[in-house]
Amino acid sequence: MERKAWILLAVACVAAATVAAGAAPAVRFDRNIKVGIVDTYSGPPAVFGNDALNGFRLALQEINRDGVHGARIEFVTRDERFSPEIGLSMARELVLQERVDVLVGTINSATALAISAFAREQRVPFIVWISKSEAITGARGHRYVFSTTENTAMAGKALAEALARRGYTRFWLAAEDYEYGHAVTNSFWRFMKRVKPEAELVNQTWWRTGEPDLVPYLTQIMQARPQPQAVFFGTGGAGMANVLRTMQVIGFAQRLPSAIHTAIDVTVLRPLGTAAPEGVFGTTDYLFYYPDTPANRKFVQDFQAAYRDPPGFPAFHGYITAHFIAEAFRRARSLDRERFVDALEGLRVQTPVGEVEMRACDHQAMLPLFFGATRRDPRFPFLVAGDLVTIPGRDVMPTCDDIRRARERAR
Amino acid sequence: MDAGAVTGQLLVGLSRAMILFVVSAGLTFVLGVLRVPNIFHGSLYMIGAFVAWTVAEAFAGHPAGLWAGLAVAPVATAAVGLLVERLLLARLYHREHLMLILFTFGVMLVLNDLVKMVWGPTYRSLVPPPSLQGAVSVLGVALPRFNLVLLAAGPVVAVALWLFAHRTRVGKLARAAATDRDMVDVLGVDVSRVFALAFAVGCFLAGLGGALVAPTTSITLGMDHTLLVESFLIVIVGGLGNLWGALAGSLLFGLTQSLGLLVWPQFAIAFPYAVTAAVLLVRPTGLMRSAW
Repeated sequence: MERKAWILLAVACVAAATVAAGAAPAVRFDRNIKVGIVDTYSGPPAVFGNDALNGFRLALQEINRDGVHGARIEFVTRDERFSPEIGLSMARELVLQERVDVLVGTINSATALAISAFAREQRVPFIVWISKSEAITGARGHRYVFSTTENTAMAGKALAEALARRGYTRFWLAAEDYEYGHAVTNSFWRFMKRVKPEAELVNQTWWRTGEPDLVPYLTQIMQARPQPQAVFFGTGGAGMANVLRTMQVIGFAQRLPSAIHTAIDVTVLRPLGTAAPEGVFGTTDYLFYYPDTPANRKFVQDFQAAYRDPPGFPAFHGYITAHFIAEAFRRARSLDRERFVDALEGLRVQTPVGEVEMRACDHQAMLPLFFGATRRDPRFPFLVAGDLVTIPGRDVMPTCDDIRRARERAR
Repeated sequence: MDAGAVTGQLLVGLSRAMILFVVSAGLTFVLGVLRVPNIFHGSLYMIGAFVAWTVAEAFAGHPAGLWAGLAVAPVATAAVGLLVERLLLARLYHREHLMLILFTFGVMLVLNDLVKMVWGPTYRSLVPPPSLQGAVSVLGVALPRFNLVLLAAGPVVAVALWLFAHRTRVGKLARAAATDRDMVDVLGVDVSRVFALAFAVGCFLAGLGGALVAPTTSITLGMDHTLLVESFLIVIVGGLGNLWGALAGSLLFGLTQSLGLLVWPQFAIAFPYAVTAAVLLVRPTGLMRSAW
């Protein structure tokens, strides 16, 4: 009897020891995690840069309450002033002098691509959170660059499919002459020709970035013969606000169905008040009122408590970027950059719009897109999106094979 | 290409030209009388737009807000201009041009940062009163109602400026000083005060231009860049310091842009620049006689 008890005790001890050895020992980081942010904090795009930073800050408050293996996440910011040259030298300073663990940025696609090349050479992880050029995680993607924002390939495909489904075949392309304008317009037309080979390009119009008066451009399209059945606009930010305002004044959207990526976005519609047209089709990857889930409601509530205004899409990207960083360091159990990259690949994080996966093959966050049309709503002093449809990220993202081929071609 | 489309493009091009004229008239006036290339002219245009927005907001949607904004904004920018002129610029007139360019460039940086501090980085919208919203149909082409205000404002400004320069004592002195500063000085006229007033008039026009575009576009940081470049181009094409030259340059710029769209929409961006380049090749000193 006594011997049996001893044996049992011994077995229990061995089992306990095995379990203890199997469970990882507690890791404690010996210093804080430092994130270097390069973004535009002056000039018109500062609206987006500041919104993203607010979302990032809000997430850090949540993360630093418990910390990541005993460490806090700290950050420093640098103003690239919408210039790739300045942005690149800021990134260099952050890596070589400030010794940041992770680089984050920026609204400017050209800057993002420049920093991405530098990050690859230095083997520093770089997470792109606002700029939408598909080249970032596509043709010019690599081991050290990640994207937590939807991109022009996803937007172009989503809008091409939506317009093709509505039966339009004759299109006019109208866009602002800059990197994003070209990228999103080319992507839309490329996918349109794939979805609907008989699609016909009636004509196209391009204007300078910052063009204050778009009336001549839009009235010309309305007067053109033959008329297109639908118009795709490649523009964003303050430029898009001008497009929408002009459309409303001359009644453009009632005559010609129009689609613009991010036209339904709150950062665009809110400053316009009621000076925006109804019925413009658009896509975005974040809306503070949709989906109406507890997770989204909580994020919006916390954000408004901290910053008064509802979060725009950049705030959402800033918020999920911080959570991706924290989760990846938790999983990596190390401050080593290589192990951070490994941990971030395929990582799934709970976000206000549901679980989002960082696809391992191209480092692109698999964000859902929301498609809808602008409309008035008595609850808000500005236009919102109606008839919303959720398009899962995987439906509009290029396949891993597409990505591999694009990267090989680029090489 | 039907008559309706051409008329429509002509009218929207004309309204754009009127804005360009109001702003570049101020620039060319200062250039002609004071010989100062005012780089912060664009900043004053932006400030005019923001002030017009603030005033309209204060009226909380009452239609009078727009008109009050149009009245207050130019006065505000004229005051800013006068302050800069009296405190700093008045001491620099005898310096070389490079110094004056550097000085006004510096003021531009300061003003643009002040705008960011006062109004922040978000863009603003000034919604015009209901009577000026929407569009009227001209031969089947939609012309924004507010463009009618712009079309009226241009000629009014042109006539008012002409009357000021030719029918008032100060205006005549300013023109005389533009031709021969020393002679006017010798005649016992306080040239410094004439200059201050001329500078304020120039700044007034920049603010008026800003207030006039405010209801038609996004009021935002950086809205000064495009306009400043276009205004300088217009002033050079028109002939430095020549008011009618500024009018001709503005019409050339606005109309080639809008009519160019009818010909070749894809490359319409290039038309105004191509035409101005062509004009300068033929007439390097500009369309009209330069005051320099």
